[in-house]
Amino acid sequence: MPSRNNLNRFLAFWRHFSGANAIHLALVIFGILLVWTLISHALENPDRYLPSPIAVALSSFDMVYEGLLPSYFGDTITRLIVGSIFGLALGIPFGLILGINRTIADMFYPMMNFFQSISGIAIFPIVVVWFGNSDKTIFIVILYTSFFPIAFTVLSGVREIPMKYIHAVRTLGGTRLQIIRDVLLPGSLPHIATGSRLSIGFAWRAVIAGEMLAGREGLGWMIFTAQDVDRTSEVILGMLLIGLSWIILDHYLLRPFESDTIERWGLVQR
Amino acid sequence: MPAKLVIQDLTHYYPDEYTGESVHALEKINLKVEEGELVTVVGPSGCGKSTLLNILAGLLPYREGLVTVDGVKIEGPGSDRGVVFQEHAILPWRSVAKNIGHGLELRGTPDQERKTRVSDFIKLVGLEGFEDKYPHELSGGMKQRCAVARTLCADPVVMLMDEPFAAVDAQTRITLQEELNRIAIATKKTIIFITHAVDEAAFLGDRCFVFSARPGRLKAIVDINIARDKRIWSEMNVDKEFLSSRDEILRLVREEVNVAIEE
Repeated sequence: MPSRNNLNRFLAFWRHFSGANAIHLALVIFGILLVWTLISHALENPDRYLPSPIAVALSSFDMVYEGLLPSYFGDTITRLIVGSIFGLALGIPFGLILGINRTIADMFYPMMNFFQSISGIAIFPIVVVWFGNSDKTIFIVILYTSFFPIAFTVLSGVREIPMKYIHAVRTLGGTRLQIIRDVLLPGSLPHIATGSRLSIGFAWRAVIAGEMLAGREGLGWMIFTAQDVDRTSEVILGMLLIGLSWIILDHYLLRPFESDTIERWGLVQR
Repeated sequence: MPAKLVIQDLTHYYPDEYTGESVHALEKINLKVEEGELVTVVGPSGCGKSTLLNILAGLLPYREGLVTVDGVKIEGPGSDRGVVFQEHAILPWRSVAKNIGHGLELRGTPDQERKTRVSDFIKLVGLEGFEDKYPHELSGGMKQRCAVARTLCADPVVMLMDEPFAAVDAQTRITLQEELNRIAIATKKTIIFITHAVDEAAFLGDRCFVFSARPGRLKAIVDINIARDKRIWSEMNVDKEFLSSRDEILRLVREEVNVAIEE
């Protein structure tokens, strides 16, 4: 489980950034900031088109001071967590059932494939008709978005479990339910981990888009409204936060969970 | 006393996975295995050895003929028949001890009794100190020892082994063969051991069933009259009985291999 290794991972993370890679990464970031600053200074009206990194940093201090940024950030993260937990809670069992029973899989698979092609944003208008510009709407869009990647990954995960394990437990006298409990569930756990990471990644994009369209407070709403009132620095700040929070979430929570399950059981030879 | 396992007129066809054509795998197999006996089944590739094992394991339904264990017809898998598969099939997400105790866990044996039995079998196969390791931390030979212990711990009436040592290196294989012999002495289990290696068939078997090329028929039965406690490789290599049995099996198998090639 992630907590066991979190400290080690944290240390590895910084060791990673203190080696030669750190220099390369720092160079790239420095280069981007430099080009950004130069372009910004060359513009006639940088505040509107491309505020300098320093202007963006200053606006972040203002927003933290006013308490807006923490509140927006909290709103967005809460929506992400609630929506994707429900998406995973529905998608995991659904994928398992489809993986276990071929008849049910044949029944539902075309439908799943159909809906998978309709992105969360494309269902937004109809959900707004049903639930208005509410948190409920965003919740449903996130749930919808996170459901498919996990369901598909778990489905293929169950199917990839080698028959020999199922045979072995059958010959040990295992019943159908015992095979599900002792072989299919644990055997698909690495796929559940990978699929969760994928789903939460999609949900993260959906929550930002959802806030914009539904007009609910949060990081997505922040960059959308800031543009309306010509506060380009806040737009850029919001974008930076969206990207950085994902990197942190992914690096400290999702990837450790994924690699722990996969490595512990030696399902991937390293 | 009636035989432990009886096969009567077993004939089997199965559809080829790719072409869908009916493949004639086994033709009128008749044989008996006595209690406490270790028999080996040897034959050229495609002689239906694995088909036979899957039928005995109950993983493959059969229509023609009758297979019984202790007089009861085989209809599906059951814990009276334990299987050691060709590629070790111990579960990667269970520790060695949890794998070995799995059979008992499935039938709800009380924890205390299970733990005692598991540690007995861990000792029997020499995996002390590895109880909490996961399969990927074990060598190929240790994985197969764990698989053997798992099967034995569930206390089957008959143990079926499908080329269990084919995937390990030559040195380990010799050790595992001697260990299985020791286990056969210690547990007095009825064991059916399928192999394509003639040396192995002669070393382990009380009797060796030689199968013909497809469709698999029981071509011959070779008796190997060597006391179990004498079966050590360093002695077998100069043992007259062993060498003559091995040569006899080899001759019978080669006839079939040649038939298979000519076809």
